[in-house]
Amino acid sequence: MWPFAPLGGGLFLGWALGANDASNVFGTAVASRIITFRKACLLCSCAVIMGAIFQGQAGIDTYGKFMSGHQIEVLLITSLSAAVTVTLMTVLRLPISTSQAMVGAMVGVGLSMGSLPWTLLRKIILCWLITPVGAMLIAVAVYLILSVFLRHFPMSLLTRDKILWGGLLIIGIYGSYALGANNVANATGIFSGKIEGITNTQLAWLGGISIAGGVLTYSRRVIYAVGAGIMPLDSFTALVAVSSMSITIHIFAVIGVPVSTSQGIVGAILGIGLIRGGRSIHYRKLRSIGLGWLLTPTIALVLAAAGYAITRGFMNVIPIGYENTWQGPM
Amino acid sequence: MLFMSKQKKVESQLADYNQKVSDCVSGFHDAIRNYCETSDRKKLEEDFQKVYRAESLADDIRRAVEVMMYTKSIFPESRGDILGMLEAMDKVPNQCEATLRMLLTHHLEIPKILRPGIIHLANVCHKAVEALLEASGRLFQDFTTATVAVGKVDQLESEADEIEAALTDQIFSGQQDTQSGWEKILTRDLVRYLGAVSDRAENAGDRIRIIVAKRSI
Repeated sequence: MWPFAPLGGGLFLGWALGANDASNVFGTAVASRIITFRKACLLCSCAVIMGAIFQGQAGIDTYGKFMSGHQIEVLLITSLSAAVTVTLMTVLRLPISTSQAMVGAMVGVGLSMGSLPWTLLRKIILCWLITPVGAMLIAVAVYLILSVFLRHFPMSLLTRDKILWGGLLIIGIYGSYALGANNVANATGIFSGKIEGITNTQLAWLGGISIAGGVLTYSRRVIYAVGAGIMPLDSFTALVAVSSMSITIHIFAVIGVPVSTSQGIVGAILGIGLIRGGRSIHYRKLRSIGLGWLLTPTIALVLAAAGYAITRGFMNVIPIGYENTWQGPM
Repeated sequence: MLFMSKQKKVESQLADYNQKVSDCVSGFHDAIRNYCETSDRKKLEEDFQKVYRAESLADDIRRAVEVMMYTKSIFPESRGDILGMLEAMDKVPNQCEATLRMLLTHHLEIPKILRPGIIHLANVCHKAVEALLEASGRLFQDFTTATVAVGKVDQLESEADEIEAALTDQIFSGQQDTQSGWEKILTRDLVRYLGAVSDRAENAGDRIRIIVAKRSI
């Protein structure tokens, strides 16, 4: 096999991640017409690459250590399965968690190998449930605090616009930076130390560029689904949604639990919808997103298990006895 | 600082536009009152020219604001809202000009019995437009209070409707027989045109109400 070929799976996952997750940071701003889709993509891409380069290497190192006992073929199966799943969900305009896809794929491989850390898995699934609920509650609090601020300071229509525009832009750029820093490891981190001639810095660059590529080429579908699909947002509610998502993710990061920005933003939008009476929420779209969250790890699991079976059984790439060394990054 | 200067430019142009609309409506009010009091067609012609010039200047400023809105980094959402409001407000000076033009070109003589009512109607329309301009101005100071002034526009529009209905009744009631049938119809049209000024103000006020409602928390 060409030495760099396995990296293709990681780059594909990075691309799929960018296409799906850009919606979480700029979807609300684009759909509420605060920033154009093109400008949002450019800003998001630059910030993602910077985040990946400046703060993404720690995650890559961690992933590298976690995955040190695995053959590169297993990593390729995992990343390809996750990438295909995320791409499928993006085509269906569903904002999903790339981490869910990765975990699903790893569980698929783990089940095939006969070893799985069930306790850790339960903890991760619990976090998937807590994230949207937490974001919803935080959105309610942020909504109330920001509305008090805007009500008590008399201002011109245009001043209000500038405040909201500036807020959304800063939080969007910050969110994109964090997206690059946190998720580059998902894309190329698993290949740390696996491919000769490629350093972690180069992996950060490649991962960042692949995520940015996804943002630039295929993010429109999910951006509009998040920004306008769940409920119509104006500039104020867009700012509340992105702020709440960022706060939620930050709180979980401080606690030490990696959670999904997609679940955060959907929970935040839902919280805003509920505080406004719940009439403007598009429940059909919400049902589709919920279904997507259930299907994502399931599809990734099936794909990874099938991929593992094919490569091991038919092509005999993965040697027998390797399964005992499996240790997921969960 | 850069943003503030752009914002100030837009706000300053909108204030200029409001001033020109105010000049136009004041001129219109004066023209109706003068004509009712003196029936001087020459004076009416002069007053019409004043209103016509003010309306043209308001149009020029509106166009300049529209161009500026697209080049000065205004939010698309607010840009659409403000342009919609300007389009609605622009119908007010247009209606004033159209009413005076009708009075002038149709050579209408207003019967004495109708004159106090018509002056009163012009006065109420003038007040309605001033309330509209106040609402429009408040959008760029403390936008949440603009609806108070819009409420005043609605109240004055209702008053104008009542005066218009009373005048129409008076035209055809037989209290005044100085006019022939077609002259009565033309006078009724004049009253309708006059009353339409407050209707246009109310429509523009509705746009302002929507602008505020869209941003209500």
